[in-house]
Amino acid sequence: MKAGFRDALRVLEDAGELRRVKKAVDPRHLSALAAQAREATFFEAIGGYPGWRVAGALVSTRKRLAHAMGCAEADIARRFEEGIRRPVDPTLVSDGPCQEVVWQGDDVDLTSIPIPLMHVKDGGPYVSATMVVSKDPEYGRNVGSYRLMYRTPRETGIDLVSSSDMRRYYQRALDAGRPLEIAVAVGVHPYEMLAASYKAPIDVDEYAVAGGLHGAPVELVRCKTVDLEVPADAELVLEGELLPIGWTADEGPFGEFSHITGDVKWNPIFRVRCITHRRDPIFYMLQMPWENDWLAAPVIEAAGLQALRIASVEPVAIRAPVGGCCYWTLVASIKKRPGEGKNALLALLSVAEVKLAIVTDDDIDIYDPDDLDWAMTFRVQADHDVLIVPGARGKHIDPSVRAWALGKGGLPTTAKLGIDATIPEGVPREQYERLRYFARDLVRLEDYL
Amino acid sequence: MSPLAERLAADLRACPRHFAELVEAHSAVGWRDFLRAWGEVRGLAALGRDEQGRYVVAAPEG
Repeated sequence: MKAGFRDALRVLEDAGELRRVKKAVDPRHLSALAAQAREATFFEAIGGYPGWRVAGALVSTRKRLAHAMGCAEADIARRFEEGIRRPVDPTLVSDGPCQEVVWQGDDVDLTSIPIPLMHVKDGGPYVSATMVVSKDPEYGRNVGSYRLMYRTPRETGIDLVSSSDMRRYYQRALDAGRPLEIAVAVGVHPYEMLAASYKAPIDVDEYAVAGGLHGAPVELVRCKTVDLEVPADAELVLEGELLPIGWTADEGPFGEFSHITGDVKWNPIFRVRCITHRRDPIFYMLQMPWENDWLAAPVIEAAGLQALRIASVEPVAIRAPVGGCCYWTLVASIKKRPGEGKNALLALLSVAEVKLAIVTDDDIDIYDPDDLDWAMTFRVQADHDVLIVPGARGKHIDPSVRAWALGKGGLPTTAKLGIDATIPEGVPREQYERLRYFARDLVRLEDYL
Repeated sequence: MSPLAERLAADLRACPRHFAELVEAHSAVGWRDFLRAWGEVRGLAALGRDEQGRYVVAAPEG
């Protein structure tokens, strides 16, 4: 049987990476408190919400993500690759804990859930840790992750601006003048969240991707009011439909994964017709921006590894640093043959999201910022080793692309930067021989203390 | 509208506010009551946004 959300909490607690908060906390203060903890947070009592607990910041660091994925920190991309290479189809079960309590009809009330207010400029409280399921008559099931902004006891906004399979499904439903049924699972294992964040090809079932990561099938239950299936072990499920109104309702701003507040967007409305949850539910508050960033890291790093292999470059290590939101920047070390520093840069910059790429030799520890700085200082000549690609596709939320000047519907472009910090061709490797201390292997400091 | 929703709407009629500013101005109210009242305000046709993303309720014409 695969691991669930509560198993992930247990793994973190066993590793000393979970802080329990016993005093009752107001939902308005959850995110601010989680931001002050060095560990993931588990709030055991929520003011005004008896029976509910809240967990957040489960994978806000590379270390915690690695714990959740059961691998070393350096191996998150390879672990993710293994999972997507061996998908495991989900199984359907007759019932599950996510439906222990069912609210339908007039009993549907989103205010019964401790939805937190996270940032000072957010347009409302947000459900941030979502696994959203939809179905298209032609393309089949899709699973993604989309933020929900509380509007009324039965409605939320949903950010469906960016290109995605579900956006396509919604557009097709809209063209047919009908709503799009969706179900939103909250409080699922990080593997399910990774699968939902992964932009899988349209014919790939993200539940099978999650199964591949687990090495066991995800058990699904049929929803109560929509023709969709959700993970049986989820903490909370919202069922309903995206109204056929197009991109007409205000949504946002929200504290984005770029660590910046976004703009108000125009989006559809999600009308909730059924809420199901466990008898003792735990609301999962995905803590922005770090947790969102780290869920992107294995996906971007795996894309970088794949691009390097296609370019016939042998990668040794890869890292999507959190300073680049685990999204815009890739640093890789390679076993270099002549010319491959540049080939590697071209490969990494071909990953759509990547704006800055740095390549080093395999003697550099790319997880050590000082070692990386050293390589960039002594192995880079800016007139030979810096590559700038102008006019590539950019992202609206990067302020440097000046998207506001483009007008509605305008798509921004960006320049991409590559830095080849490998030993330049023609410079003997001996020139980089590191200092070694005389007698380092003969004496030990502790013998003299 | 509930008295709390009336107060929220009056606040937004007086000047544009971010959602969090409204929350702060009514911090003594329980979260669930606040959200219910906010749900009522969301139903107002006069509710809109300014260029900074703040909520505003347009004053009735005339």
